[in-house]
Amino acid sequence: MIRLPRRRWLGLVGLAALPRPVHAHAILVESDPPHEAKVPEGERVLTFRFNARLDRLRSRLTLIGADKTQTVLALLPGSDEVLSARAVLVRGPATVRWQVLAMDGHITRGDVPFTVTGG
Amino acid sequence: MELLVDLFGYLSIVLHGATLAGQAIALGGALFLVLLAQPKAWLLGATGARISDGVARLAGWAALGMAAAEAASVALPALLLADTLQMSLMDALGAQFALAGMARTVLGLVLAAMLFGMGGRAPWWLVLPVVLGVLATATLSTHAAARLEGSLPLLAVSGIHQFGAALWIGGIPAFLLALRRAQVPGAMVVVGERFSTISIIGVACLLGSAGALWWAYIGDVHGMYGTAYGVMVSAKSAMFAGLLLLGLGNFRLIRRLKRERGQSPTRLLRFAEVELGVGIAIFFAASSITSVPPAVDLRDDRVTMQEIVERNWPQWPRLESPDHAELTQPALQAKLDAEAREAGRKPQLAFNPGSGILPPRNAADIAWSEYNHHWAGLFVIAIALLALLHRAGLGIAGHWPLVFLGLAGFLFFRSDPEAWPLGAVSLMDSLRDVEVLQHRMIVLLLVVFALFEWRVRITKQTSGWQPKVFPILTAVAATALLTHSHAIANVREQLLIEITHTPLALAGLAGAWARWLELRLDPPGNRAAGWVWPLCFLVVGLVLLVYREA
Repeated sequence: MIRLPRRRWLGLVGLAALPRPVHAHAILVESDPPHEAKVPEGERVLTFRFNARLDRLRSRLTLIGADKTQTVLALLPGSDEVLSARAVLVRGPATVRWQVLAMDGHITRGDVPFTVTGG
Repeated sequence: MELLVDLFGYLSIVLHGATLAGQAIALGGALFLVLLAQPKAWLLGATGARISDGVARLAGWAALGMAAAEAASVALPALLLADTLQMSLMDALGAQFALAGMARTVLGLVLAAMLFGMGGRAPWWLVLPVVLGVLATATLSTHAAARLEGSLPLLAVSGIHQFGAALWIGGIPAFLLALRRAQVPGAMVVVGERFSTISIIGVACLLGSAGALWWAYIGDVHGMYGTAYGVMVSAKSAMFAGLLLLGLGNFRLIRRLKRERGQSPTRLLRFAEVELGVGIAIFFAASSITSVPPAVDLRDDRVTMQEIVERNWPQWPRLESPDHAELTQPALQAKLDAEAREAGRKPQLAFNPGSGILPPRNAADIAWSEYNHHWAGLFVIAIALLALLHRAGLGIAGHWPLVFLGLAGFLFFRSDPEAWPLGAVSLMDSLRDVEVLQHRMIVLLLVVFALFEWRVRITKQTSGWQPKVFPILTAVAATALLTHSHAIANVREQLLIEITHTPLALAGLAGAWARWLELRLDPPGNRAAGWVWPLCFLVVGLVLLVYREA
């Protein structure tokens, strides 16, 4: 009732537009690169580990480059709670947007921003 | 479609709650049929057959409701997946949760067909496998299905938990139906004694499984108050304790009915009605719990006891409002309007309702919100005190429902400063935002509620449906607050707010059902209940009065 800080509703629009993590069911436990880390440019395997078993076929990693182009990354084989993908990183700010479906049916998403440096 | 999409997060919790409630009543009714109504039918004669048929129909309708809610619960995330991953709907429906949900839907329809088709004669060897099938598929939408370790034992524990809930809470509607049809004290004792045994088994299942789930998902005391999961489990436990007390009361009443056949069964019926109402609130709280991560998974972002005490330490209420122009969004809107005037174009909106993007907040926004809460608290305290004075015999204080109109007007103007009538966002556009939609609905409910209850007070009406509008709307609002507050993510600041709002929901629920008992119990119980609900409202007002966001 009355005025609460706005909640982070899941929704198609929200999923497309939210630039911040949605803390709901499956949560990101650790990532490589870590949140707001600096990493050298070039080819690299990006890894994201979650607290829950995921439906890998219905989960996705998207790389957003400095020019805001979005590239859906092909997932590498791995265990149920880990999503990893090979990507070529170019200099500048970048973000990996993850969207996962936990095996219990909950969809969550979030962003991991980082900076790609010259080496 | 766009509006539906914006409402997805809230709808999913509400639909899951409806599925849980429907499932419990369907399975509870089916179990009541095969464990009580059929085996005891020979003792009850013609009444026994009427009870069996009535229970079968009741459980059949609940099974249909469960199937409908579950079908919608599957469809929403499947549509979301198909849209965001650009996959076909068929591919999205191949996910484990969707397959399990579709199986649960089909099993619900099978159960309904069986109960409507065969009525009270549906045999246990057909009913029980379907009941077990529903429970098995239901566990696949619990946390256990996604755990990295111990998933199988946790699935079993979750199944036992839901079985216990169905056996006890889900069996209450059938129990009420059977008591009404039993009519004579002797038959009521037969029904009551067997249902007591069934309920004790249900409670044992719930308590045992809750202990295991606490160990697996919370793990320590800090997890209980430092995370959204723990806070909601605490609220659920408090409601469960209330149910246990009511259940114990009924257990003793049945024994007294057996000893003294002249006793009135009214209290037994009324307590069971309240048990059902609180039970439904528990299902919605359970639905909220499934949407956040277990406390054990959250080692960061927990709040400490010191932070909770500091935030909730009473301070003088904020009775002066900041200026509307100081708020983030009106200030930004004024800037955008000025820019648009210079450029000779239509101004942009500072806030895009339904976009899911959180607007920024400044100190004035926090002061605005605290002022709203504090004045709302004063309104509620005034209502509580007037109701107490009326109870004490001051006739004019019986017009207390009119104070709700003042509260509704206050909230109408103040709750969403970015939207009409104070802000730039039009009424229709603002309704695309779930929070604004909820606020507008609450204002409407308050007006309806105030007018109905005022009419009840001036006509001194205690029977009929009109007096029940007050307790039912209050219970619905309190239950909605449990799901509302829980939609807040487990970010520290938001959790600190949730910790304040959960007691509001619990006090609201207690007040609603106390008023129900005031209306429905015989003296002297109704008189005692008449003192309890204004005190619950007083608690709500005091909690609002000390509410802070910083």
